Amino acid sequence: MEKKMIEGRGIVRAFPVPGGEFTALKGIDVDIPEGCFAILRGRSGSGKTTLMNILCTLDDPTKGQVFVDGEDIHQLKAMERENLRRTKMGFVFQSVSLIPSLNAFQNVEFALRMSGAKINKETNARVEECLKMVGLGARMTHMPSEMSGGEQQRVAIARAFVHRPKIIFADEPTAELDSAMAAKVTETFRMMSKKEGITVLMTTHDVGLMGAADMIIELENGERIG
Amino acid sequence: MLGIMLQKMWHKRWMNLSLLLGCILLVATVVSFPLYQNAAYDRMLQDEFRNFISTEGKFPTAICMKTVCMKSNAGSDKSAKTMEKIEKKMKSIPKELGVPSVLQNDFIYLQRAKADSDMNREDGTDIDLCIGGMRDMLSHVNIISGEPFSESGITEDGRIEVILSQECMTGKGLLVGEELTFSSLKLPDGSPVRIVIKGVFKADGDSEYWQMPPSEYREVCFTSMDTFRELFTGENAGRYTLYCNYYQLLDYKSITADQAHEMFTKGTYLQEKGKFRSVLEHMDFLDILEKYEAKIKRISATLTILQIPVLIMLAAFLFMISGQMYEMEKNEISVIKSRGSSRGQIFRLYFYQGIVLTLIGGAFGIPLGTLFSKVLGSVRNFLDFDSNRVLNVSFTGESAYYALGAMLITLLSITIPAIGHSKVSIVKLKQSRNVKKKSWWKKLYLDILLLGISLYGYYSFHKNMGVVSGTVMEGQTLDPLLYISSSLFIIGMGLLFLRVQPYLIKLIYLMGQKLWKPASYISFMESMKQSSKQQLIILFLIMTVSLGMYHSTVARTILDNAINNTTYADATDMILAERWEQMKDENGAYTGKYIEPDYKRFATMDFAKKYTRVYYDEDGYVTEGKTNRQSSDIMGIHTKEFGEMTFVDGNLNDKHYYEYLNELAEVSDGVLVSSNYRDKLGYDIGDTLYLYNGKQVGTACKIVDFFDYFPGYAPTKTTLSPDGTSKTEERFLAVTHYDLTRREYGVYPYQIWIQLKDNVDTEQIYQWIQEHDIRVMKYVNRNDDLEMTMTDPLLQGTNGILTLGFVVTIVLCAVGYLIYWIMSIKERELIFGVLRAGGFHKSEILQMLLVEQLFAGVLAVVAGIGIGWLSSVMFVPIIQLSYASATQILPLTLTMNTTDLIRLFGVIALVMVTCVAVLVSLLFHMNVTKALKLGEE
Repeated sequence: MEKKMIEGRGIVRAFPVPGGEFTALKGIDVDIPEGCFAILRGRSGSGKTTLMNILCTLDDPTKGQVFVDGEDIHQLKAMERENLRRTKMGFVFQSVSLIPSLNAFQNVEFALRMSGAKINKETNARVEECLKMVGLGARMTHMPSEMSGGEQQRVAIARAFVHRPKIIFADEPTAELDSAMAAKVTETFRMMSKKEGITVLMTTHDVGLMGAADMIIELENGERIG
Repeated sequence: MLGIMLQKMWHKRWMNLSLLLGCILLVATVVSFPLYQNAAYDRMLQDEFRNFISTEGKFPTAICMKTVCMKSNAGSDKSAKTMEKIEKKMKSIPKELGVPSVLQNDFIYLQRAKADSDMNREDGTDIDLCIGGMRDMLSHVNIISGEPFSESGITEDGRIEVILSQECMTGKGLLVGEELTFSSLKLPDGSPVRIVIKGVFKADGDSEYWQMPPSEYREVCFTSMDTFRELFTGENAGRYTLYCNYYQLLDYKSITADQAHEMFTKGTYLQEKGKFRSVLEHMDFLDILEKYEAKIKRISATLTILQIPVLIMLAAFLFMISGQMYEMEKNEISVIKSRGSSRGQIFRLYFYQGIVLTLIGGAFGIPLGTLFSKVLGSVRNFLDFDSNRVLNVSFTGESAYYALGAMLITLLSITIPAIGHSKVSIVKLKQSRNVKKKSWWKKLYLDILLLGISLYGYYSFHKNMGVVSGTVMEGQTLDPLLYISSSLFIIGMGLLFLRVQPYLIKLIYLMGQKLWKPASYISFMESMKQSSKQQLIILFLIMTVSLGMYHSTVARTILDNAINNTTYADATDMILAERWEQMKDENGAYTGKYIEPDYKRFATMDFAKKYTRVYYDEDGYVTEGKTNRQSSDIMGIHTKEFGEMTFVDGNLNDKHYYEYLNELAEVSDGVLVSSNYRDKLGYDIGDTLYLYNGKQVGTACKIVDFFDYFPGYAPTKTTLSPDGTSKTEERFLAVTHYDLTRREYGVYPYQIWIQLKDNVDTEQIYQWIQEHDIRVMKYVNRNDDLEMTMTDPLLQGTNGILTLGFVVTIVLCAVGYLIYWIMSIKERELIFGVLRAGGFHKSEILQMLLVEQLFAGVLAVVAGIGIGWLSSVMFVPIIQLSYASATQILPLTLTMNTTDLIRLFGVIALVMVTCVAVLVSLLFHMNVTKALKLGEE
């Protein structure tokens, strides 16, 4: 049996609103095997981002349990969660999330620094490798402001992969891109996931991208429908 | 449009509040300068008047015309017309000078005449009396015997009713009810003038009414003014000589600084060229105003120039904040632009926003500025407030212009950048991000240019120092370059630091490249890349620190030097010299020999701890060759006692002061001389010197040593000659033994040098002097002189302005620094979100902020300290010169007050700690997922 990288049981998330409570997730179960390229789909407001935030330890469920790599992550202290995030997880966000004062190479290298790696020839080679994988080998010294949105997003992908995390969470990484670029970015994800054996959970509402996925989790009104 | 604008303002309320705060502060500060300056000048003027009253005991703005009218014959003669004209003129003077009158008084009397008592007087001596009248007299006297003159003033049998002062009554031996006849004075009908003494008066204490002290009227019998005029000045009056005195007392309390110049000009005209100049007595207020104007002239340039850097900082503050605003809204503007808004619409959006902010800023800023100046009005010394001192601040037209100017600058700082930004569409904006721009001032080498100019100013000051101090003495304004050099230097050095700072950070980064943890790494990178954004806040900090230090040093140095010079020039606590009687020969002619008063009296001075005799002759001289005389002061002292009550600071001479006294003590015919005896006259130690006193009696002394400074001795003396030019002459001093001067020069008036006990009241000293009937020739009291020095209106006015500058700088720095950092965090919220999501600990974020503060803040503060110190050392002497060039004896020493510096750095440290605390709380309360969402909008 394949090892489960993410295991969620009965995840409920309720937010207080004026005059009561709004339940964004209504008891979600989710199992994602190691090395899987999973897509979390659903309309806007279906609870995709809420679920993802809980799975990546940025938010806590009102009820339910989440295991990442076999560990009950919501039992962890804040510091332990942060260490988990910087060593075992990688992130790609919808908006441009590169640090504007660092160039492409430094942005990717920074994830290595954060994971605790000592900067040396090997790490430099790794950064270059990742940038080449996302097709930006020639633009390593460019600043974020000198790159297009798609290029920046690919740098962000390289950054998410560079320290060889267990899982990468990508929240609508293609939302701001045109469909050709979105397809290219998604393909990059898939390729890196396969090559490095890293689990990827990506949210999107773009139906055209579903074909790339090993697994599709579909949400509607806080319930899993697929 | 209005709706969009308000929505936009609400959405960016943080930013708008900062801008509003900046605007309020700018208006308040800009307004408070002229308000305070005017009010301080007003108070300086009033202080001058009050000083005059306390030293001269006279009313400062009294105008007096005196004339003597000879009435030739009864009828229409010139004298009546002259009097009428003078009276009319007197009445119009308050209006002419623009100052209301507090009191107008006339005192007219007839020539003294012999009166015969109708009583049978045994002594038969003549009684000489004047008849006179004074306006409204009965309301200023108390009748202590008899009764006042009646309303008609004349008895039924035709006698004039008079009242006399007590002094007159006793002096002339007259009685109440006594009747007298002046046979030489005739009434219009030809009959002699007859008077009856109705009563004796005592003047009330109204010193304004009694311009002459009541005791002066020893020979005047007063009748009512109406009666007097009717009988002696009317058309039918007979032949008299009339002594007329007209007084007009102006309300000096109502005179403002604005009026001073006009009043001086008009007053001078009246005094020197006016039609009535021959009868107009000297007007004291002209001297007061002249002195005041000279002082104002001397400091106004200095004060203005001390304000310039503060104003520059204020403007920089606003541009910094509005720059931040545009930085944050740049995206929105370009998006609006790309969606089809016209440039005019975008410009109007910001223009309306500017108007709203400016109007609110003005509404709050003007009252705040008034409050500022009131608070500063209580400044006694630098940063030393005295709640008893109240400053009357009134809002003037001038300050309204300043307020409008400040509001206009705010408006411009908000709207001008909109013109540029409204051109930029999103495409251009993205393209422009790729181009690195160099700051305009770097391209122009503004820093080097400013430094060059200021160093030239510094150089030319040192080259022409002697000339400069003369110029100040003569009351001429100095080359503005001299003053402005310090400001240029501070700004220039600040900019130079900005040029160097990125390299400095890079150097530090490279030194520990392998060591930096992710948090430090990211702050290094941010600081290196953001250096152009941080320029203004760094410049701000540098200027705050260096200006704070500079202003503090200016204020403290001026005061301390004034105190040190007074302390040194007065030499000891108190010096008293008495007028001695001279002996007469048998013909009654003075022999030039003195009678020494009883020295034992001084033993009864219970306020004195110690006292000693000092021979001091200002008319002494030495001979050089056969013809040349060099005048020199001669002192004769008892070395032990003298040394016990005087002191000279150790750094001033080559040796300790007491060593000189010891050397002198060992040689009975020794003399200590000022070093110019060696440098100018070529004497050497061991040489014999022939010292002549003012009476040309000479004695030979042996030189034991040369000194540069000796208690009370000024090596040079600068005097102002009547033609307005100044002259500096060298002064020579020879100090020998008192016993030697006594033996060689004979009995000669000496000074008593006194060391006072603690907390001696001046009154106590005056009382002793009076009790022992000392006829004072010279009186020096160091405590009084120091009090005068410290309360000098000029000094206090300056301290107020300097304190204002200091306080404003600190407030601006505090607010500016906080705003800059809050905005810088808000701007980078997304990045912090990304870092936190990626697993950055809170402690790492804190570390990152601390490192950034270190580069922008601490480094700037350190640079500021250096620049402040350097500019103080270089430029404070120039400013100090305009305050004390005439009284400066000692070499100038810079005073850097530790308390001030601690206060300054305390405030800055507090600002930084507050800043970090606010930022940390902002960051720690930041919701990571929310911050990430922010980026999606």
